[in-house]
Amino acid sequence: MKFDTIIIGGGLAGLTCGIQLQKSGKKCLIVSSGQSALHFSSGAFDLLTTLNDGTEVENAVEAVSKLDSNHPYSIIGSKFAHYAEEAKNLLNESGVAVVGSADKRAYKITPMGTMKPTWLSLADFSHFDNPTPFKGKKVALFSIAGFLDFNTKFVVDNIEATGATVKIINICLPEIERLRTSPTEMRSSNIAKVFQNENTLNALLSTLKCNTNGFDVVALPAVFGLFGPEPVKVIKEQIGTPVCLIPTMPPSVPGVRAQRQLRSAFERLGGTYMLGDTVVSTKVDGLKAKSLYTVNHVEEPLEADNFVLAAGSFFSNGLHATPYAIEEPIFGADVNFLEGRANWFDQNVFNKQNYMTFGVDVDSTFHIKKNGKSFENVYAIGSILSGFNPIYEGCGGGVSMLTALCVADNIK
Amino acid sequence: MSLDNRRDEFDVIIVGGGATGAGTARDCALRGLRVLLVERFDFAAGATGRNHGLLHSGARYAVTDGESASECIKENMILRKIASHCVEENDGLFISLPEDGLEYQAKFVAACQAAGIRADIIDPDEAKILEPSVNPEIIGVVRVPDGSVDPFRLTLANVIDAKEHGATVLVYHEVVELIKEFGKVIGVRVANHKTKTTHDYYAPLTVNAGGIWGHGIAAKAGVTVNMFPAKGSLLIFGHRVNNVVLNRCRKPANADILVPGDTICLIGTTSDRVGYDEVDDMRVTAEEVDILLSEGEKLAPALATTRVLRAYAGVRPLVAADNDPSGRSISRGIVLLDHATRDGVEGFATITGGKLMTYRLMAEWATDLACKKLGVDKKCTTMVDPLPGSRQNDDLAKGKSFLMTTEQKSSVHRHGELAAKIPSENIYDNSLVCECEDVTVGEVKYAIKELDVHNLVDLRRRTRVGMGTCQGELCACRAAGLLGEAHDCSQKAQKELANFLNERWKGTYPITWGETIRECEYTQWVYSGVCGMDKMF
Amino acid sequence: MNMQLNNISENNFEQCIKCTVCTVYCPVVPVNPNYPGPKQAGPDGERLRLKRGEFFDEALKYCLNCKRCEVACPSNVKIGDIIQKARIKYSAKKPSLRDIMLANTDFVGTMASAFSPIVNTTLGLKPVKAVLDGVLKIDKHRQFPKYSGEKFETWFKKHAMAEQDAYKNHLSFFHGCYINYNYPQLGKDFVNVLNALGYGVHLLDKEKCCGVALVSNGLINQARKQAVSNIESIRKSVLENHRPVVGASSTCIFTMRDEYPHLLDVDNSDVRDSIDLATRFVYRVINSGKVKLCFKKGPKQKIAYHTPCHMEKLGWGYYSTEVLRAIPTVDLTVLESQCCGIGGTYGFKKENYPTSQGIGASLFEQISNVNPDFVSTDCETCKWQIEMSTTYKVKHPISVLAEALDIEATKKLNK
Repeated sequence: MKFDTIIIGGGLAGLTCGIQLQKSGKKCLIVSSGQSALHFSSGAFDLLTTLNDGTEVENAVEAVSKLDSNHPYSIIGSKFAHYAEEAKNLLNESGVAVVGSADKRAYKITPMGTMKPTWLSLADFSHFDNPTPFKGKKVALFSIAGFLDFNTKFVVDNIEATGATVKIINICLPEIERLRTSPTEMRSSNIAKVFQNENTLNALLSTLKCNTNGFDVVALPAVFGLFGPEPVKVIKEQIGTPVCLIPTMPPSVPGVRAQRQLRSAFERLGGTYMLGDTVVSTKVDGLKAKSLYTVNHVEEPLEADNFVLAAGSFFSNGLHATPYAIEEPIFGADVNFLEGRANWFDQNVFNKQNYMTFGVDVDSTFHIKKNGKSFENVYAIGSILSGFNPIYEGCGGGVSMLTALCVADNIK
Repeated sequence: MSLDNRRDEFDVIIVGGGATGAGTARDCALRGLRVLLVERFDFAAGATGRNHGLLHSGARYAVTDGESASECIKENMILRKIASHCVEENDGLFISLPEDGLEYQAKFVAACQAAGIRADIIDPDEAKILEPSVNPEIIGVVRVPDGSVDPFRLTLANVIDAKEHGATVLVYHEVVELIKEFGKVIGVRVANHKTKTTHDYYAPLTVNAGGIWGHGIAAKAGVTVNMFPAKGSLLIFGHRVNNVVLNRCRKPANADILVPGDTICLIGTTSDRVGYDEVDDMRVTAEEVDILLSEGEKLAPALATTRVLRAYAGVRPLVAADNDPSGRSISRGIVLLDHATRDGVEGFATITGGKLMTYRLMAEWATDLACKKLGVDKKCTTMVDPLPGSRQNDDLAKGKSFLMTTEQKSSVHRHGELAAKIPSENIYDNSLVCECEDVTVGEVKYAIKELDVHNLVDLRRRTRVGMGTCQGELCACRAAGLLGEAHDCSQKAQKELANFLNERWKGTYPITWGETIRECEYTQWVYSGVCGMDKMF
Repeated sequence: MNMQLNNISENNFEQCIKCTVCTVYCPVVPVNPNYPGPKQAGPDGERLRLKRGEFFDEALKYCLNCKRCEVACPSNVKIGDIIQKARIKYSAKKPSLRDIMLANTDFVGTMASAFSPIVNTTLGLKPVKAVLDGVLKIDKHRQFPKYSGEKFETWFKKHAMAEQDAYKNHLSFFHGCYINYNYPQLGKDFVNVLNALGYGVHLLDKEKCCGVALVSNGLINQARKQAVSNIESIRKSVLENHRPVVGASSTCIFTMRDEYPHLLDVDNSDVRDSIDLATRFVYRVINSGKVKLCFKKGPKQKIAYHTPCHMEKLGWGYYSTEVLRAIPTVDLTVLESQCCGIGGTYGFKKENYPTSQGIGASLFEQISNVNPDFVSTDCETCKWQIEMSTTYKVKHPISVLAEALDIEATKKLNK
């Protein structure tokens, strides 16, 4: 099989890069070893919320100059704002409708009911321009009794702490009760599948309509619209009151939906997406990669002019940790990490963790390196990169998308 | 309440809620004494819950300490009967590897026999069938009646029975002072960790069962008990690699016991003297992890490819006898100190030394002393009275019925016949909180309501919530929600959630690589990244 | 010392990091709440079963063995294999007469072909269906695939075998039960296409049913026997005669490549890579540039391709869609990959019927939204399910190719 570009990894970074390349007429293959980390995202994309020294960022475009020189944004350099805008456009064109802008921080609501700064939010779920959107408001929180991955009490508590009053209203529907027969499968995605049924959704709507009089906001767990925006649209249309969908513990319904939308956008543009396949070896000539071999295609080589490593960090197996070192398993690329396991972690789980900044070393055009020398045609994008802390700095989504777009430009 | 009335409240105050303290409280209560049990944190929070969970046959001590060995085998047989829901009758193998030679084996078998421990030399091929995970290089094998024991369940069962027999139990209460009158200990001043208030309790006898912390309690009475804090580190693996306990047949050394227990197996230990300043916050070092892994592989090669779930360390409450730097040659024998005769301090006794296996015997000795001092003439019955949870022994109580769901089987496995108290008629109660360990909403509610659960770590000790592969990633938030509901305080529950995640992390980061670093990244992504908990507290 | 450099346990269940992705993609969970779901039935349950065997849950039988959980898993856990292996190891339930009947596709097939007019009529008759439904618990809504009068093997020996040695390349054809008993036409199409590409088609010395139905119905010993026999025949073809073994059914091929070693402990490592799927084989022959194709002229055909579960697991949907795209008259839509619900013999069982149809519902909707001239897929049971549940006909890509090619002209080009 021969492609123009093969992208290893089919999450946010890989799909962004693939969509951009397909748009410019390149024939791309994405090989993805299982579903991506978008499945646990909050339904919002962060660009840069905090600097490494703890300073909160109001305007990411201005703050980006203060980052260390090895931060992926520093490598992108002056085109940061351009790619941020392009990323937003790409999401919107791909059916993932988002709102937000790079020069002003927005807020998202967490599954705990607290607010967190962010960049782009899914337009139909919830997006806020200030950290206390419920202040002085009366909120009707509809909860699904016994749904353990949505902690109604925590949400109420934290929303009320910002000066709102919240009333909990339990939703009880026979279709949901049926799902509950299983001790484990009362999960957000399965509930969303139940609400995919029009009758069930209508039954929910009548409960909602009966109980929203006198409230300023209707809040619901984000368990709608796994397969597309339709159910959320219907709810919003039918309920006059503003609706806010609050993320749940994993799996994330908005995240799964975004993944599906991006994949189908990529496939609509003619891209090939192979799910559930793993690269086992590469054919490299000097510093030029020729082809990949995978579990599924065995002796059939996957050839391309360019390769993009978008395999994610540890979670997605883009990086592999032994007790003594961090490795990049596919190309054996150079990895930036600290020697000595004791230096990888902080004893407090909520503090900045060094291991999160580990990743492959790249040159100024995002080519990966081996023994200090750049590959000619292999790039790295997204969370496999080093030099940033996606959680502490709140920049995971942005790094994925912006580096993907930058590399797509380099390849085009 | 007048002072005199208060002085009449209890016959005996027991300080320390480990297996020994709980066992002593139970024995005293069974013999009709009015008991107060005071624990600084939670039951089994010290050395009791930080060991192998090995139901020792005693074979391990046979060569070096015949007396301990014979105590062990007797208690082993008793625990099989009285604590069947805490015990797995797995058997144990003492294996000799080429590097060990067979010299020790002969000495070992003879010593076992002398201590009354059945020790059969079996063919290595037979051993491989008995336990397929064993190192195939074995040159000699001895089979002994080892097993596994769950120290949390065991301690809890003693507490439950003590309470059933009238004992008063205070957890998260710390003894800050021993109240003395004319040189005699007449009670304890106790600080309530939650309310930050103190309260005085009186009894003619106070028993110090504080384990390694007993050193400090004794000091409050002005007496010296020289303890030898020896740190032992262990590793927990993700699933049961072996079903038979594996020991190295050699002089006790690092990492030579691999014990299967419930869903996991664990290897230990190391042994290093530590200072008292360290005993409250034991952390496992990278070096200790490396030693445990490299030695562990020699017992069962599969360990090299099995995921490590966590590392933890306990402090053996050994009583110092000489200046042995390793602590291994010290007797594990029971030490009962009547401070009246030893130090001239009336009303105070210390029960220490020993080990988890002999907790019942230690309790018996301490209770005998209490009865003698209080003039009570009642015989000990704990060697025959089954503990709550082990009182029915049919298939249903053992979770073997086909009519049960796997969730019911799991709870029966953990609580024995007490599982009948777990609410399950309501469909909400059957949902799983912890999917790795099969803990239902009903079981969590039961534990919070009836088993002295104050936080998520306590809940873990009662139910195994968060002890599985994901180390709390999925279940911690769910359990915190239920705790918040039960205590009607979601602020506190959120803090508890943060504490719990940190408590899990403490045991995880020393072994974080491979799949575990993936799991950690995922967990931190969810709780810090998505939930924003890194900025909440 | 290889200390923890590679911690991989059997079926990788230790690699599960409880991310719950598998549960999103399990087709059974949303329609059958009695199924514990892939996470609980698979890696979570496995830890409990390793503790004590009685933690085995008979509800694992509701698993379709579609392996979509494995495809979705970011941790490479063989969830489906864990579940099937647990059923093999722990299930105390004996297979019923119904399960034995459904599982023995070739025995029942042989009997039925011999009496096919009678069988086809009787299987269609209302009273017979009532017996199947009531006594045997085979759902009355199910139509059995019609049994053909002349087995494929009989046709092949009579009409095609003699001329096969004349070709310069050779392969062995694993036709499977479906082609042999129910749909010899696909077998004839396969022979035509491969002949046209310059390959002589041969039968294996001895072909037994691949055994997939035996595995899912718990008849493991019989499945293993058949697997051993098949691998023996395949070895002879591959190693002695240097003929790869090619089949048209994605499920048969998947079973022989992966389920034999994973579930039945039948080692096939020396020949696994030579067991190939028809569309993949054809794709690779065409892509090698060594053959030329001559297509007939004709009107555009709108085709919707459905990726069967085992095709998705093989990761080979690309080959089939590329072969279809190579046909000038084809206007192809690839349906979003999802399970049709039949799961081999699963959907035939009365207790699974509603689940089976529930799973397929959104696929059927997708198809009617596309409104193609016909549907194409590589799996025979998907074909039954789609034909039974929609108004659309289903054709194998090889049949589509056979119809589009000018066979004789192509044959000449590749002589």
